[in-house]
Amino acid sequence: MNLEQLKQLKDKALKQVALRESGKKYRVVVSMGTSGIAAGARDVMKSMLDEIEKRGLDDVEVRVTGEHGLEDIEPVIQIEEASGETTTYAQLDAEKAKQIVAEHLQKGKKVDKLTVGKQK
Amino acid sequence: MFEELSLHILDIAMNSLAANASKVEISVLESQKRDWLILRVRDNGRGMDAATLHRVLHSRTTSKTSRKKNIGLGLAMLRQTSEMCDGHFHVRSAPGKGTSVTASMRLAHIDRPALGDLNATILTLCAANPATDIRLHYQTDTERFHFSSQEKTS
Repeated sequence: MNLEQLKQLKDKALKQVALRESGKKYRVVVSMGTSGIAAGARDVMKSMLDEIEKRGLDDVEVRVTGEHGLEDIEPVIQIEEASGETTTYAQLDAEKAKQIVAEHLQKGKKVDKLTVGKQK
Repeated sequence: MFEELSLHILDIAMNSLAANASKVEISVLESQKRDWLILRVRDNGRGMDAATLHRVLHSRTTSKTSRKKNIGLGLAMLRQTSEMCDGHFHVRSAPGKGTSVTASMRLAHIDRPALGDLNATILTLCAANPATDIRLHYQTDTERFHFSSQEKTS
């Protein structure tokens, strides 16, 4: 185990603690840097908030972050679960965001065709 | 480039949140009589020293360290929009004293982007950081509107 792995482990633990303390099952983090905004992150965020409210999901928390370094596949969101698992979705729009709320956040089923990167 | 001014506002205000501001004041002053539109985002975040400010305004770099690619475009794009529309662009900031970004433009200028969905911008900012007081002050020749996310509802 090297320093980088330890750092990742720490980050993961911190996320879990934060989620546990907030009492939520999911945390959605929307990348809202300049490139994210230009690509439509605001509409994705609004669509998710609307859909979460419509479906009455109260175990979901939505937050934002700055750039991810994923400028070319924005808008990007990450869904963190209380178990520490993180899923990244990319190249979203308002419709895809609704789909993610319906599938992942309500039914707990990942929308595989919209995810990127290896599953952690 | 952003298609809406409200996207510029969101982008600049996100910098305020990143600077740990507990209060962000957004002003939109619109006057048909005087033919101007002024946007201002003022925060009480950590602010920037003169060297950093010079750097973010005069070169395409960012003060953010989280990124590998150091491109700072947010302020530069707003400046471009404002100058393209016969306006002025101004940033005031000092360490510990917060930052104030002001961009003006000619209201009737043909290149002026529409204000766009200011609602979605405010909603996003409020959700982004519920602890921060997001304030909006909107004023036209005849009307005024105030909003504060920390307002007590009676």
